[in-house]
Amino acid sequence: MEKNIVSFTHVEKKYEEEYVLKDITFELKKGKFYTLLGPSGCGKSTILNIIAGFTQPSSGVVVLNGDNAINTPAEKRKVNTVFQDYALFPHMNVFDNVAFGLKLKRISKQQIREKVKTALQLVRLNGFENKETTEMSGGQKQRVAIARAIVNEPDVLLLDEPLSALDLKLRTEMQYELRALQRRLGITFLFVTHDQEEALAMSDEIMVMKNGEIVQTGTPMDIYDEPINRYVADFIGESNIVKGRMLSDYLVSFAGKRFVCVDGGMNTNEKVDVVIRPEDLTVTDADAGQIQITVETQLFRGVHYEIVGLDQSGNEWLIHSTKKTESGKIVGLTFQPEDIHIMRLSETEEDFDERIEQYTTSVNADEKGADFHG
Amino acid sequence: MKKNTKRSSVYLAVVFILLYLPILYLFFYSFNKAGTMNQFQGFTFKHYSALQKDTRLLIIALDTLRVALLSSLAATVIGTLGAIGIYFSRAKRTQRILINLNTILLVSPDVIIGASFLLLFTLIGFRLGFYSVLVSHIAFSIPIVVLMVLPKLEEMNEHMITAGRDLGANQWQVLKEIILPDIRPGVFAGFFMAFTYSIDDFAVSFFVTGNGFATLAVEIYSRARQGVSLEINALSTLLFLVTIGLVLIYYFIQKKQRSKKQPLSLDPTNHEKAVRP
Repeated sequence: MEKNIVSFTHVEKKYEEEYVLKDITFELKKGKFYTLLGPSGCGKSTILNIIAGFTQPSSGVVVLNGDNAINTPAEKRKVNTVFQDYALFPHMNVFDNVAFGLKLKRISKQQIREKVKTALQLVRLNGFENKETTEMSGGQKQRVAIARAIVNEPDVLLLDEPLSALDLKLRTEMQYELRALQRRLGITFLFVTHDQEEALAMSDEIMVMKNGEIVQTGTPMDIYDEPINRYVADFIGESNIVKGRMLSDYLVSFAGKRFVCVDGGMNTNEKVDVVIRPEDLTVTDADAGQIQITVETQLFRGVHYEIVGLDQSGNEWLIHSTKKTESGKIVGLTFQPEDIHIMRLSETEEDFDERIEQYTTSVNADEKGADFHG
Repeated sequence: MKKNTKRSSVYLAVVFILLYLPILYLFFYSFNKAGTMNQFQGFTFKHYSALQKDTRLLIIALDTLRVALLSSLAATVIGTLGAIGIYFSRAKRTQRILINLNTILLVSPDVIIGASFLLLFTLIGFRLGFYSVLVSHIAFSIPIVVLMVLPKLEEMNEHMITAGRDLGANQWQVLKEIILPDIRPGVFAGFFMAFTYSIDDFAVSFFVTGNGFATLAVEIYSRARQGVSLEINALSTLLFLVTIGLVLIYYFIQKKQRSKKQPLSLDPTNHEKAVRP
């Protein structure tokens, strides 16, 4: 059993009468990379603030490294934060910024110098000690902010949308680096973002949030492949969501046809949402396809063509295809049973996990069951 | 466009001539051989040497400086802490009220402040003299310092305070290590403003100096009433030069701070080096 670094039990936060966090329960294990994913204003940052000690929860229990954190002030917690706007101290140079936390701990100058040097090496800013932070680029400031946090060797590093101010290329590079850094240091990272690509690329586990609640928790693959509801499916990447009906276990009807699928455990004739990812759809001839669509538009996206079409029932389909087609043409779409993801209209996460566990393992245990529940 | 620029620069020149002409006039006649300002009869330093021999005036000048230094120092400490207090006051309403109260003190006529201090001092039996002047100067300087410091606090990145606490600083350390260094330009500006206000204050000092103690402004006023002596011209000239000196010092402090912040030379390759493994 790995050690829980942070655990929340029924944590709630309300300002006056408005709930910002509703019944949040989760655990963070040592040495993993977690991501809180959700749109702005969903309460992600509030969770960070509660862990860091800047905000007190209205109710519930927060345990940090085995101790109830209620009476531990922010400065005593072994938690450090990387802020969205870096929050570097402009009147100090790089060395003083990074050494700030260490100096407060009253350790020897020699040790401080060594630790700062190591931290700067980790973020690849060797030799930048005497630079003024005001002379640095956004990406460099970001690194200083990370070095300033990790030099204190925290139990948890909180990252509050740290990459959102960087340009796309730099952002991608930093994703790799953050992930590598986390692996090397073995510190638990809790990363907050509204960018699903960032979340998918870096995390061991993603917590998807909506209006102050955690909607789904799972590995990036779980969440991408088996979204619990329309909200998660929509939020994590592009997807086709059509209305369907469960005929029996492993048999679903949508777009006027019946399809074999890998989900079950629902009532007969229950109304469901069916999700198929655009990249799982393959364009073929009209006769060979499981569904026939009329191509409406086609955009060249570089890696693929983005094709939008309508089937006979009026459902809109988004396809990512490497092959070209023509608008106005009738084409067929093919997909595999495991590409069909069924979502019940209102299901709790527990019920969902239980049902998925039961039905996916029984169908193709070697494929899905193995990576379930990290 | 060009014509426009010309016209506006002429306008600007006229404004500045109007502003500085009286001072230059005074400056010019302080070197006049004749005892009056009616006509210039020749160049002399005699008014300045007379000033040098005037020990009473020298003592008053030193007293004025003493009051200015002490009062502006005290006001800077109190005002800075006050501004920080206003900044951290939770309720926006309280904050607004406090700022407004500060502004009222700033814009209320000196005569009223002076008169009310005189009333207060006589009421509680505080003897008029050095301390009464000092206290009242501190009082009217505090709002000035608050006014200079508050914008700096508002400019400050709030997350810096959070970051400081996050890194393990307690409230005192946050104040000392993060807030104060960041608002230092505002504090300096407040100090210099308070200093110059104190040196050239007449109205408030006039009420609270009492017998046996005077500031330069009050002294110049009382001498000017007895008839215009060119010694006053000389004295005013010196005061003006001191003020210019202060402005220059302030300017250089600002300039030094700004140049420290300005990007010196950004090596574009540095960043690439930093990014690549």
